[in-house]
Amino acid sequence: MGGTGNEYRLLMPLIPALLIVPVLALAGFESVEVAFLIVLAPLVSFPIILISGQLYNGNKTWKHSLKEGGVIALSALLVSLTTASWIVIDYIRGAREITKDASGRTAASWWDWISFDVLLSDYSLSSERVIGVGVWIDSVTLMLLFVATFLCFLICWFSLGYMNTDPINENRNHRFYAEFVLFAMGMFGMVLADNFLWLFIFWEIMGLCSYLLIGFYFWKESAAYAAKKAFLTTRVGDVFLMVGLLILYDIYGSLEFSVIFEDPSIGGTVDSDKLFWALIMLFIGAVGKSAQFPLHVWLPDAMEGPTPVSALIHAATMVNAGLYLVARMVPFVDIGGNGVAGLDDLGLIVAYIGGITAFMAASIAFVQNDIKKVLAYSTMSQLAYIFTGLGVSLWFYNHGKTDAATLVFGGSMFHLFNHAMAKGMLFMASGSVIHEVHHAHDHLHEGDDGHDHHDFDPQDMRNMGGLASKMPVTSAAMLIGSMSIIGIPLIGGFWSKEAIVAKTWKASLDYEPLMMGPAILVLLTAGMTGFYMSRMWLMTFAGEPKHQVIEHVHESTPWIKEPLLILSVISALGGFGLSVLGIVKWLAKPYNYDLGINEQSVIEQVIYELEHAFLPDDPNLRIVGWTTIFLSLVIGPIFAARVHGGGLADGQRANPLISWIATLSGKFGSQDVTEMSQSSLSEALQNRLYFDHYYELALSKTVIPLAALAAWFDKRVVDGIIRRVESNSVLGSVQIRRITTGRASDYILMAAIGALSIFALAWGVSG
Amino acid sequence: MTSELDGIDVQLLLPELIMTIGLVAIIIFPNLGDARFRIPLTSFRLPVLIGGTRFAATRDPRIPNRIALATLLTSLIASLLALFDPPESGLIGRSLEVDQFSILLSNVFLAVLILCTISAAQRLPADNRAPIPSGEDDAESESAKTTALYDNRRQADFHILLLTLGLGMSLMAKSTHLFMLFVCLELASLSSYVLVGFHKETGAGGEAGMKYFIVGSVASAAGIYGMSLLYLWNGSLAVEDLSESWRSMETLDPLAASGVGLMLVAFGFKVGAAPFHLAIPDAYSGASSMVAGVLATASKAMGFAALIRLLVIIAMPMTGAAFWFVTLAGISVITMTWGNLAALSSENPKRVLAYSSVAHAGYMLAAISAIGSGLAGQTGTELILTAVLFHLCVLVLFKMGPFMVLSSIEREGGSHDFSGLHGLSSRDPLLAASMFVFMLSLAGVPPFSGFLSKLLMINGIVTVSAGTGGASTVLSWATSVEPVFWLAVAVVLNSALSMFYYLRIGMVMFFEPNEGESGSPVNPMVRGIVVTLAILSLAFGIGPSSELLIGFAEDAAVALMY
Repeated sequence: MGGTGNEYRLLMPLIPALLIVPVLALAGFESVEVAFLIVLAPLVSFPIILISGQLYNGNKTWKHSLKEGGVIALSALLVSLTTASWIVIDYIRGAREITKDASGRTAASWWDWISFDVLLSDYSLSSERVIGVGVWIDSVTLMLLFVATFLCFLICWFSLGYMNTDPINENRNHRFYAEFVLFAMGMFGMVLADNFLWLFIFWEIMGLCSYLLIGFYFWKESAAYAAKKAFLTTRVGDVFLMVGLLILYDIYGSLEFSVIFEDPSIGGTVDSDKLFWALIMLFIGAVGKSAQFPLHVWLPDAMEGPTPVSALIHAATMVNAGLYLVARMVPFVDIGGNGVAGLDDLGLIVAYIGGITAFMAASIAFVQNDIKKVLAYSTMSQLAYIFTGLGVSLWFYNHGKTDAATLVFGGSMFHLFNHAMAKGMLFMASGSVIHEVHHAHDHLHEGDDGHDHHDFDPQDMRNMGGLASKMPVTSAAMLIGSMSIIGIPLIGGFWSKEAIVAKTWKASLDYEPLMMGPAILVLLTAGMTGFYMSRMWLMTFAGEPKHQVIEHVHESTPWIKEPLLILSVISALGGFGLSVLGIVKWLAKPYNYDLGINEQSVIEQVIYELEHAFLPDDPNLRIVGWTTIFLSLVIGPIFAARVHGGGLADGQRANPLISWIATLSGKFGSQDVTEMSQSSLSEALQNRLYFDHYYELALSKTVIPLAALAAWFDKRVVDGIIRRVESNSVLGSVQIRRITTGRASDYILMAAIGALSIFALAWGVSG
Repeated sequence: MTSELDGIDVQLLLPELIMTIGLVAIIIFPNLGDARFRIPLTSFRLPVLIGGTRFAATRDPRIPNRIALATLLTSLIASLLALFDPPESGLIGRSLEVDQFSILLSNVFLAVLILCTISAAQRLPADNRAPIPSGEDDAESESAKTTALYDNRRQADFHILLLTLGLGMSLMAKSTHLFMLFVCLELASLSSYVLVGFHKETGAGGEAGMKYFIVGSVASAAGIYGMSLLYLWNGSLAVEDLSESWRSMETLDPLAASGVGLMLVAFGFKVGAAPFHLAIPDAYSGASSMVAGVLATASKAMGFAALIRLLVIIAMPMTGAAFWFVTLAGISVITMTWGNLAALSSENPKRVLAYSSVAHAGYMLAAISAIGSGLAGQTGTELILTAVLFHLCVLVLFKMGPFMVLSSIEREGGSHDFSGLHGLSSRDPLLAASMFVFMLSLAGVPPFSGFLSKLLMINGIVTVSAGTGGASTVLSWATSVEPVFWLAVAVVLNSALSMFYYLRIGMVMFFEPNEGESGSPVNPMVRGIVVTLAILSLAFGIGPSSELLIGFAEDAAVALMY
């Protein structure tokens, strides 16, 4: 299975996909003109994969040369990736073809589907309305677009190794790839769409695909349940989102970004209360999609899907959709521009929801033993950081403190980038671990009657330990990913997390005492992140093997390793590199700042960034910054090491750095936490703070009786009416067909009657 | 004496000329043989070619089909070229005019006939090596062999009829003189009567053809009578003159109104308007599916072309509502409701499609009658005509498509009830998926072209009624709004009703178990074309391709109006 160089002949179909963009460029097209390819390529490949999968299921060529559609999906995603990269490069270079307007964005219309006049409530006709879709490109779009296309491509690559070697997926993978590309299409479209309507449509496409993908193993009851839960929970948010969009339409008479963002205050006449509620509704939609408190319950369960799905949905793309939506709220509140004053409560609410989720998710992650669940809670927690940052930024914008606002906005968006890269990789690395442990277990029990299979959970970290020597690439990748998430100085997420924490404290200390809540919560969470991420790594890779299976684990196939390597480099260096290039300012549009080395030299820029991160001018921020570093770098990991640390078993070799870290972790002594793990707090955390429990209780007391009533009403009243209409229609149908006797003379009689009626009517009208 | 045809550009009538040449070729070519004529008193034999023993090439029964296909394709190319590069002035004498309108319709007719010809190659197969029945055969194989030979013999007949049909329709669209218009209409109609009854050995076929002919000739008679009344009233039958006189008429002349009313009967029969539509379901179910498809698309388009010329161009007063407004509105509502209701309980897919075709005629009549309300103005009229023409164009895709699917099943074992469609999805997924797309498009589900055309029509009607009615409550608004608005409501309600039987076809294809026989494989060419039609039904519903087609329809509407 895999691993041989021969496998790379599979990549031949990628070559034409790779050539499309250069050919288009040579043919004189401009990058924005072909932006539709980003959405079109996966959209077209979706039916192709699905239909060919049905037709050629089990066929040898289909299975081995096309990997059950995986190669087609990969080619389509490569087209998206190259096109997106082309746009990004053009945009950064400020190339002639991309004309930016004053706030640094580009809008272009792809096609107008339907244009029509609307009958307004005063019965006059409006000007022509168009239902169409176009592109709206600014730095936020580009960042998300690049993250989405890049990660989708890598995860699809990873899937070739992960999905196609699992016998359980045999002959079903075309469904996986078809849903995968449709999902990717939804994400790309949502990011690119130039109006809220299409944003919503693509948003729902993603919702549907996440349902299908989480429930990929639908015969497992837990997977079917998780899929339903994810779909219904996000649906709660979606309903609010739709209401919010309706209110927006009522206010502005359009959902086009270009119309709304032109002047969100409509010359100062807008009703700020109404707008506030519209934005709150949008925010609830975002909360559902990004799994924030109180609509977070679906995300941990969604780990029932295959691991590439977890990487795709719960790290790289879908959960970022909510953040994107909140980021799009900036023009509404930016009173430096045309925003509406008096919306600062929105920022506070967003920041509080973020702070609460960050803390709560981190604390639940303390006690999880399932490697993917730890990552799931970590995702919630990190997304919550970004929400906090965005909340603070909205608050600043609404108070006219544009400088601070743009910095924290850029920081939040940058954190999104760092988190997506690191978390995508962590999920894939965990997939690699699970995959190999599972295979090793199957290998070990070959020939058994399989009674043991159900007792062994390949995702349970209590069965692992000492894997560092068996899986050098995976362990290193996971180490870098964890460091980026923790915010170890100089690595990945540090650069962005620092900005969020510092600016939240700045807001609370200098301006708004109420911001103290989120500020404290995110600070504490930084330390807790240090603990649970270290704990996960140590439990998996350090110490001595806790199960005999571990002896038989090998490193994964190249299909799995390559994406890990690429993402490790990006996670490790991307944060520092991009912040030196000034990405924070670039992401915050008002600066009109070009990405790259501007006035200063590279060295100056590096020094500036380091100084800014470690020795800010504001003494308060200096304290906050160092506290964060101390908590996340020292306190968290050391506690984790005391509980779970330990050197590798004798005779096991790993690469020196990893080996050193494992050994180091064993030196902090050990602490028995058995007693603590039996406390009621721990139990509450094990039970996810009883959220699921209470939700189910509340649902069974409220929604279920209501649903029963609605079902009764539907069955008796609605169905009754429909059935009566139907039976009467059919009756009428039989009656009316009786007139069609089949005799030509009757037909002529009817025609004569018709002709006479025409005369009678004409006579009546003219007379 | 100078002929009327002097000095005109032959290119204008290129498609028709090609069809005429093809027609002659089909008649002559299969009869070529080695007959020789001995010149008296000499031993020299002059080859006369007609008669004698036929050559191998001319004996081939597949020849007529190929000639017809080649003719129609060439003709379509000529017509398409004209569509993209319309002639500056297309007047040919006083009776024909080549403009965007007629070119667009010619394209529609030719496309339909090409699809029909391709389908005919499968439905009415010509077998080069058909064996001759011998005394040893049992009854069944003998009848099969006889049928094959019989099919071989009538290849030429069928394709000659198709070409005359095309010629008649194509010229009709170009007629600007009522007399010319009627002659061409009859040329097409007579061919279509025979085509309907072409399978006369099946009983149902002969009966259907007969009924269609009888009712059709009554309608034609009424039409000619109406035309004579118009001639009495005006002294000329040129559309231009009639239109001018109508506009200058101060009060409605009973002679003129009766004339138009009677012609409405004739054209109403052609489009399938109630209560003149009764022979249509019989005709469709008796005819072979591809011929039914031609009736439902091309023949209907022809009827609408004539109807639009008569009502919108001729019988439209300068101001105010036309006298036929209420009549046509009534007919349209009855037609669509009747069609949809009757389709509900029909068990024969061809009849369902026939009734659906009646219902669609009702929608288009509703749109046309909105013009008659007199509120439309230039822009409103243009909008509605564009919508109707667009609908006629895209109907080719998703109406001819299902008939081609039925035609393939017909060959397999029958399309006279739904059981032929049972389990089609497992027998032939591509065909079933395409059929489902056609049904969705017919029902008007976005994003298919059927949705777009229906939307355009409803939009046209609503635009006409927009700005009327205005009050604080719904009730007073409902009473004060122009009655035209309720036509749009009728269309919408009827669409909802029609979903039932369209989705039913989808249901039996996907959820009913396959009944035993796997059937003979469908001709790959036909399958490919069906799938292409399904893709085109989508393509013309969204994106630039739909804009292109709407653009052509709009040009055609403008060309017709001015």
